[in-house]
Amino acid sequence: MSDEVIQQTPQVMPAQPPTAGVKRERFAWAVGIAAWLLPGLGHALLRMWGRAVVVFLSVGLLVVAGASMRGTVFSSNGGDAFDTLGYVADLGTGSFYLAARALERDGADVSHADGDYGTRFLATAGVLNLLAALHAYEAARGRKA
Amino acid sequence: MIPANGFALTHFQAFLLFAAVISIAFGFLGRRRPKDRIKYILWSFFLFLVVGIGIAWAMYPFSR
Repeated sequence: MSDEVIQQTPQVMPAQPPTAGVKRERFAWAVGIAAWLLPGLGHALLRMWGRAVVVFLSVGLLVVAGASMRGTVFSSNGGDAFDTLGYVADLGTGSFYLAARALERDGADVSHADGDYGTRFLATAGVLNLLAALHAYEAARGRKA
Repeated sequence: MIPANGFALTHFQAFLLFAAVISIAFGFLGRRRPKDRIKYILWSFFLFLVVGIGIAWAMYPFSR
């Protein structure tokens, strides 16, 4: 019985030296952070050009549309949990968060439906960019993407 | 650059813009081959429309 257990125990052999794995993990983190900071940059670093362009344009279009429709760009001094959640979602766009604040010079106007749609567009841009950053991170780690 | 009062979209135009952008992004992130991407984008866009319009009609009796 004990022999069978010993025989069935899988032999785990590292496929790569540990240093290669550490380097790859660091590179994956760098790709993920770059993807968050500038939408599409993570995929560009991995030479996934089509995905890089689409992520850049999609997030950019949603941010420009959201700011143009005078949606709310949340800030860190929000009053309640929903403002904080909106701030986290907006921050997901990385550097485009600053662009949204710069574009929306006259402030938000959610008294009309357009402003409300704009708020959703901005939040969606952030969440989409976070998803793309996670995708780039996983691809850099060698996961099938 | 952007007019002071922003630009206005109807509810349906905003819905179409949202559905198109998200479908394209998901198609490129989720599929590798061009043919699969196009199929995914079209299917996703169609489902956005069906579900969105379906929910709108379901909510219609409570809108007034």
